[in-house]
Amino acid sequence: MQRLLDFIEHNLHLILFAVLQLGCAFLIFGLNPFQQAAFTNMLSGITSSSNQISADITSYLGLKEENRLLQDQVASQFRRSDIGTVRYMNDTIAIKDSSKHTLYDITPAEVIYNTSYKAKNVFIINKGTLHGISKNMGVISSEGLAGVVLKAGKEYSTVMSLLNTNMTVIPNINGQEYYTKLEWDNQIPNTMKVSGINMLEEIEVGDVVQTGKSSLLFPEGIKIGEVLELNEVENSQYFNTRIKTATNFRNLDYVYVVINKQAQILEELLEE
Amino acid sequence: MRGLYWIFVIAFQVFILNHLDLSVYLVPQAFILLLIGLNLGHSRIIQIIVAASLGLLIDLFTATPGIHTSACLWLIVIRMRLLSNQDLKEHITNKRPYNISVTTTSQYLYTLVTLVLFYHLYIFWLESIGAVNPLKLLSTVLFSSTLALMIIGIFEYLSISKSRV
Repeated sequence: MQRLLDFIEHNLHLILFAVLQLGCAFLIFGLNPFQQAAFTNMLSGITSSSNQISADITSYLGLKEENRLLQDQVASQFRRSDIGTVRYMNDTIAIKDSSKHTLYDITPAEVIYNTSYKAKNVFIINKGTLHGISKNMGVISSEGLAGVVLKAGKEYSTVMSLLNTNMTVIPNINGQEYYTKLEWDNQIPNTMKVSGINMLEEIEVGDVVQTGKSSLLFPEGIKIGEVLELNEVENSQYFNTRIKTATNFRNLDYVYVVINKQAQILEELLEE
Repeated sequence: MRGLYWIFVIAFQVFILNHLDLSVYLVPQAFILLLIGLNLGHSRIIQIIVAASLGLLIDLFTATPGIHTSACLWLIVIRMRLLSNQDLKEHITNKRPYNISVTTTSQYLYTLVTLVLFYHLYIFWLESIGAVNPLKLLSTVLFSSTLALMIIGIFEYLSISKSRV
């Protein structure tokens, strides 16, 4: 307290100066029409700028909620769409809703940890067994295939990224499945390697690579990427092919876990 | 005697210099010599009150509420800062006015020119705020300051000559 009083006493002239300057500002901008107009103009400029900044911040802070709503909408549309739908006797008898039997459901999730620069990349999502997630479920992003659930905890799950040397996918290019491996060779970010595509195949750069029917983890037609390079190999009849992934793993924030509702039944059938 | 000198300088500013109408670039504010030459013995608070009062008085006559008051306040604070770097202890004790006889010529001229230039720059900027024409502002400041310095020089010369007599 004594120090505060000493400070005030020592700087009383500056406090008086500040108070009088404040009074001057009121006089200048309150009683001089020209200065008043200039001040009002300046204030309106500052106000509009601050309003813009405030609106930008509010809209940015609202993005998380917007994203959540969008994810819900996408999930809802996925359920209503024909992706992963099995139709019985559709060719011969038209049966309304009962003819439609959805094989897959999806659950939106947020990526809370992600790597894309290692040989064995994984990411963690904020959904686990409590949300119906279990091991070996497919994971997709809004752009395309993203990975497979490696381990499901109660509230979180670890997903093996498509950019993982242990991950292999059978590609479907131009409606044709190639029983060769599409794998991450840890070379170029967001690109994968396919070997064993015959040069006689009608494939061009830019062709879309999708999931086929050979997997129970993903519905047919989920985009994996596009053909980026078709390199001819000397003394070989096969292309050395590179695929650019549809999902940008460097900027992966939101994904969907694909739940095959009939997985157990189908696996049992396959085992038999 | 000192009071009469103040009245004379203020009257000269208000009734003569402010109505010269020589040019829009020539509006000298010579009355600030009263603040520049203020007695050295005054406390800082007194200096601030004197500056505010003088500025307010000039504002009343020139219908520029607050502009000269604000400028005078800044001027006196800058003056405090400039004088704190000069050896004036003896003159502060004797409460002598600040003029060329209490310090070196170079220090006095430095203080005078700095304060005169600042004052003119501040008031002309404040008067044209929102529509500042840099070239016009600079010209007005330079021409007005030069004329103000000449007038202040004459006043100082007359004042010192009289005190010697």
